[in-house]
Amino acid sequence: MRNLFLALLLSLPGGAAAYDRGELVEFNDLYRGGHYEEALEGYMQVIAKEPSGQWGHYNAGNALYRLNRMGPAVYHYARAFTLDPRSGDIRANLDFAMRQTGQSLVPEGAPAALHYVYYILSEAELKALAAILFWLACLAGAAYFLLDGSKWSPAAGRASALAGLLLVLALAWAGARQSSVFSTAGVVTRAGGTRMLSGPGENFKTYASAPEGRIVKILDTGDEAYYEIGLPKEGIKGWALKTDVERI
Amino acid sequence: MNRFFAPLAAAALAAALWAAPAAAMLTVTAETDRDTVEISENLYLTVTVAGDSASVPEPKLPNLQSFNIYSAGRSQSISIINGKITTSVSFTYILTPRFIGAQAIPPITVSNGKETAMTSELRVTVTKAAQPPAQRLNTRPQPARQQQRAAQQAAKTAANKGEQIFLKAETDRKSAYPGEQINISVRFYTSVPLSSNPQYVPPSFKNLISEDLPPVRTGETDVGGVRYAYSEIKAALFALAPGPAEIRPATVVAQVPAQDAIDPFDPNFFQKFMAMSGAQGQSREFTTEKISLDIKPLPAGAPAGFSGAVGNYTVTASADRPEARAGEAVNFSITVAGSGNLKTVIAPKFPDLPDFKVFDTMSSLDVRKDNDLITGKKVFTYILVPRSEGRKTVPPVKFSYFDPKAGQYRELQTEPVTLNVEKGGQGAKTVNFNPSNAAAPVTASGADIRYVAEKSGGDPLPLLAAAVLGLPWWVHTAPLALLTLSFWLARFNRFKLANPLLFRFRRARSEAFRDIETAERLIKEGKTNEAVSELYDSFMNYLSDKCGVKVSALTIRKAAELVKARFPAATPRSLDEMRELWEALELRHFSPESAGSEGASDLAKKYSLLVELMEKELK
Repeated sequence: MRNLFLALLLSLPGGAAAYDRGELVEFNDLYRGGHYEEALEGYMQVIAKEPSGQWGHYNAGNALYRLNRMGPAVYHYARAFTLDPRSGDIRANLDFAMRQTGQSLVPEGAPAALHYVYYILSEAELKALAAILFWLACLAGAAYFLLDGSKWSPAAGRASALAGLLLVLALAWAGARQSSVFSTAGVVTRAGGTRMLSGPGENFKTYASAPEGRIVKILDTGDEAYYEIGLPKEGIKGWALKTDVERI
Repeated sequence: MNRFFAPLAAAALAAALWAAPAAAMLTVTAETDRDTVEISENLYLTVTVAGDSASVPEPKLPNLQSFNIYSAGRSQSISIINGKITTSVSFTYILTPRFIGAQAIPPITVSNGKETAMTSELRVTVTKAAQPPAQRLNTRPQPARQQQRAAQQAAKTAANKGEQIFLKAETDRKSAYPGEQINISVRFYTSVPLSSNPQYVPPSFKNLISEDLPPVRTGETDVGGVRYAYSEIKAALFALAPGPAEIRPATVVAQVPAQDAIDPFDPNFFQKFMAMSGAQGQSREFTTEKISLDIKPLPAGAPAGFSGAVGNYTVTASADRPEARAGEAVNFSITVAGSGNLKTVIAPKFPDLPDFKVFDTMSSLDVRKDNDLITGKKVFTYILVPRSEGRKTVPPVKFSYFDPKAGQYRELQTEPVTLNVEKGGQGAKTVNFNPSNAAAPVTASGADIRYVAEKSGGDPLPLLAAAVLGLPWWVHTAPLALLTLSFWLARFNRFKLANPLLFRFRRARSEAFRDIETAERLIKEGKTNEAVSELYDSFMNYLSDKCGVKVSALTIRKAAELVKARFPAATPRSLDEMRELWEALELRHFSPESAGSEGASDLAKKYSLLVELMEKELK
C-alpha cells in the first residue's frame, strides 16, 4: 500500500506538465492583445490536452466573456469551479458571469463562508477522500483483527471507527452535494437561450424558454437529441436540444 | 490523512474565525419613541448603527408608504478601549403617519460594502386624532396661538373678498434677534374641490435660513361664515445677521374647476353639462405676499467666550469612565442642550490641559421639533489621553449664549470632571484618532472579471484525487479483502483458543506420526533408549489428545475403559493392541536394557499401525 501511495505521488508532476507552458504564454499574449478568438482557440487546445485542468476552462471562460458569449463563458467557469472550487479567481469570475445572467453563485441569504466550506472540495476530491477513508477504515480494521489481544489492537479499532465515521460523513456530504446547483447540471450555451418543449421533439409545444448562461438541472439524458432540463427556481421542466445545453 | 483534512480543517477554522467577528462588526437597531401615535402627531424613529471603525455607514430607509419621513439629525458616540474603536451613530427621523391602522416599518438595512446588517420590522398603531385640530391649537405655546389668530384674521380678510381659494403666509413675529426662532405658517384654503393635488413651491429667503416643521397639517375651518378646507405648512426661520430680512412669496399651483356658467337655454347645454364632470379645470397659481422682518442687533456687552449661540441652553460635561490608564484614550463629552438653532452652535473653547493629549473634536446633533419649537442637543466629543498617572481634573468649560426672551447674555460652565489615571500597562495603547485626516476611502467605480491565469497544469489535490479515482476497481476491493481475511483469522484464532481439546484431537494423528519419524531417526542413530522414550511419550500424548484426559496418570485398564466409554465404536481388537503396545512401551521405557534396536523398531511400526487403526475407530 505504501508503494501504491508513492506511485500516486510520483505520478503528479507528470500530470502537471501535460502541456507546453510556452503555448500558454502565447495564448495569454493573444488575450492581452485583445485577440480573444485566437486566444480561445489556444485555450481549447489546452482543454483538449488536459480536460481535468481547471485553468484551461477558466481562461477559455475569460475569452468567451470578452467575446460576449455568456452561455459558454458560464459553462467553462462552472467546469473550472467543479474542478477547483477553492480558487478565488474562478469563484469570482463565475459569480461575476452568473450575476450578468441573473444568477448568483452564493444563494441569497446563505452565508458566503458556509458556501465556501460546503464547496471546498470538488466532487472528484470528495469521492477520492471517501475512497481513502474507506481504505483507512479497512486497513485499520484489519490491524485491529490481526493484532487481536495485543495492546495496539484497541488503538487500531478506534482509528478504524474514526475513519468509518468520517467516511459516513464524507458520503453524506457527497450525497448532499448531489442536489447542488452544479451536480447533474448543464448550462444553456445557445445564443439567445433555448426553447423548453413539453416533449422530446419539434412536434411538442414550446411553453418556456431558458436564457443563455442559465445553469439548469439535467433530469433525463435518455433521448438522442434532447435533454430533459429543469429550472428549480421557477419550478418548471421541459425538453431542450442537446446542442443548446452543455453538460457541466 | 493530514494532507486531506488540513485544508478542510483550516478552512472551517478560518470560516469560523472570520464569521464570528463579522457578526459583531456592524450592527443596526431601530426603535420608535412610542408604539401608538395619533394621525396628527409625529413619531421619532431612531436608527442606531454601530461598527468597529471611526465612521459607520448611513442606514438605507425602506420605502415607507405609511409615513412621511423627515431627517432630524444624528448623534455619534465613540468608545476607544485598548486602541479598539467602536462607533455608534444614532440617526433620528421624524415620521408623520399617513394612514390610520396598524402600520409596519419594514427592516432597515445598512451596509459598509463588506457586511450588511438589518433591523427587525417595527409595528406602530396609528389612531384617530383624539381632539379636533382646532381645539388642539389651544394647547400650543403662546407664539403659536398668536400666529394662529393672525392667520385666521388674514384668512378672514381674504374670505371677505369672496375668494374660494387663497394662500396666506404669516410669521409669529415681525422682529427678532439673529438666531432667534421665527415660525412661518403657509396656509392654503379652498372651499371648492380641486381637480388634482396642488403643487407647493416654498418661499425663498433673504438673511434667513429655514428648518422644516413637519407634518403638513390639514383640517377644516370657518372663515367669515364659509367652510374652508386648509393645508398648513410650517417652517422655523433663523435670521443670520442684524438688518432687514425678507420672506419672498410662496406659491401653490392648483387645478381648479372652470367657473364658466352654463346657459340652460344654450342649445349645447347637455353636452357642456356632461363635459363638466370630466373636465380637468384650469391651472391657477396662488402666491403669498412678501413679508419683511426686522432683525435687531444683539446688545453690546457679550462675554468673552460668546460665539453667537442664541436661544436657551444648558451645558454639561462628562467622561465615559472615571478611571483610565496613562496613554489610554478617554471620551470626554460636552453637551449643549436646549432650544435654538443648534446647528450653528459651535464647540465651546476647550481649556488648556497639560495633563492630557487632546485630539480633534467631533459633534453630533439630535434635533427635536415638538410643538413647532426647535430643541435638542449637540454633543462635542474630545479624545483625551492622560499623559501620566494620578488624579487628573478637566477644569470647567465655559459656554455663553444670548437669551432672546430675557434680552441678555448668559454664561454657563460645566462641573469639573476628575479622572483617576493609573499607570499605563501593555493594554493601554496610544490612539491617534483624527477622522479628518483619515485616508480617503476606496471607491469602487466598476467591476470586471479577473485576469487570465498564468498557471499551467493543475494543483496537486485535484490530480491526486484523479489518480485515486483512476485506479482499477480491484485496488479498492483489496483493503476490504484484507479486512475480511483478518476478520476470519481472528475468529478462527479465538475459536481455537476456546476449543483446545478439539484441536488436540484433530492434531493427534499428525503429531503421532511426526514422533514416530523422530523415533525412527533416533533408532537409525543408535539411540534406541531415546527412541523408545519418544514413542512412549508420543503414545501417552496421542491417547490424552484423543480422550481429552491425561492418560499417563491412569492405569492401562482404566485407560482402556475410558477409551471404550468415550468411543463406543472402539473394537476389542484395537483395545487389546493398545494394551499390548502400552505394556511393551512401558517395559522398555522403564527397563531400557531389555530394549534392542530391533525391538524399538518393531514398537514404532506397531505404534504406527495402531494409530491408523484407532483413527478409524476413535471418531
